Amino acid sequence: MSNLEEKTKKELIVAKIDNGIVIDHITPPGRAFYALKALNIDENFPHSVFVAINLPSRKFGRKDILKIRNMNREDLNIKKLGLLISGSNIAYIKDYKIIEKEKIKIPKKISGLLKCPGLNCITSRQEDVETEFKVLDNHDPISLRCAYCDVIFNVHENISLML
Amino acid sequence: MVGNLNSKISHLTAIRDLTEQEIVEILDYAKLIKQNPSHFLNRLNGRILALAFWEPSTRTRLSFETAMLRLGGSITGFSSSTGTSLEKGESLSDTITMLANYADGIVIRHPLRGSAKLAAKIAQKFRVPVISGGSGSQEHPTQALLDIFTIRECFGRLSGLNVALMGDLRYSRTISSLLLALSKFGKNTINLISHPSLRLQEDLRLDLKETNLELIETENITEVISDFDVLYVTRLQKERFPDPMLFQKVKGSYQLHSSLIKSAKDTSLILHPLPRVDEIPYEIDRLPQAKYFIQAKNGVYIRMAILDQLLGDDSVE
Repeated sequence: MSNLEEKTKKELIVAKIDNGIVIDHITPPGRAFYALKALNIDENFPHSVFVAINLPSRKFGRKDILKIRNMNREDLNIKKLGLLISGSNIAYIKDYKIIEKEKIKIPKKISGLLKCPGLNCITSRQEDVETEFKVLDNHDPISLRCAYCDVIFNVHENISLML
Repeated sequence: MVGNLNSKISHLTAIRDLTEQEIVEILDYAKLIKQNPSHFLNRLNGRILALAFWEPSTRTRLSFETAMLRLGGSITGFSSSTGTSLEKGESLSDTITMLANYADGIVIRHPLRGSAKLAAKIAQKFRVPVISGGSGSQEHPTQALLDIFTIRECFGRLSGLNVALMGDLRYSRTISSLLLALSKFGKNTINLISHPSLRLQEDLRLDLKETNLELIETENITEVISDFDVLYVTRLQKERFPDPMLFQKVKGSYQLHSSLIKSAKDTSLILHPLPRVDEIPYEIDRLPQAKYFIQAKNGVYIRMAILDQLLGDDSVE
């Protein structure tokens, strides 16, 4: 362990949570803010949230961690998280113990999670339609193609379109 | 062979969604119709085609009408919002739902991208096929099919060609669909001749990167005049230019004249989706390379083939 990591470990004392989720290995650092948005966590969120940004990581160099009390699997939209923090790990905690773990994967298709940025897309009008997007292969950062208007866009640059 | 197609398409909303085989089947069927139009006179007897045109059109609408009538069917629909509930703000969703209850097939032209795909999704519930007649700047699939039908008719192939595209490459839906169509057929060289402000959209360029098309950018037609097999000209639209003075200044660079065509190969083709304004003067019409009216006529055979395939008895549901 490097001196920096050792020092950081000594300084960062974050309590274990009794119930809720821990999302670890969020990279690149700073993406935890996107996850908070995807989880609809704002000033009105009633439970404790621990946000750690830019922590040293042996594997990734730097990473973020989120700990959220009283949030369960059914409260999560895994596809939405997959668009924003794929590659991260979620641990589900009950009575201080990890009861399940999963890796967040990039979804292939998504429906209704965000608006289309295409100015002339039919889905931006008052129509009977839910947005649909295909996740493009081998695009870093993650890019989507609108199934209706074919516009291609980077998800992280269009976070305000999240529903 | 009549009506005996293998293809399983149930709508035609985008060239992007078609395979090479599906395209070839449509082209082959259109060829058969062109050779023996009288054999197809009653294929769609008793069927009704709804034409839902939110935008003006001459060739697309009239050739669909002609195609339907030649197949023995009838037509209904509208060609502008005047006199319809569109003036009251009725949505595309409601309009298509209504037409799907009235007709056996729908052709839609709409100014927004994705409109044909939404129409297809809605009409699918009623098992009514939808054909795009143009969806904003996105695609114009039947135009691309008649374009490549004309090219194949003249060259007997759709690969190994040197194709020059000139004019508005950015906002032209015919250009998008034509490039997507050509990209399904092996290696072709594409010369893109346009003003910098009207160059191909980045998204389309990204799509074409994965294909065998070799894209070459140029601003001047004289650089490729003796090389091209196909010259495809589109209309420059004044409103697309940020400055009207700039339009006046550059439009001459994208106009043909007969002395220019003297350097072109005798076997080459000049195509245009029409309408033209002044980018191809009338004197060019008399040159052997000018094939844009044959191209427009081929639109009827292509649309007959598509209507027969999607609305006919042998169509696959």
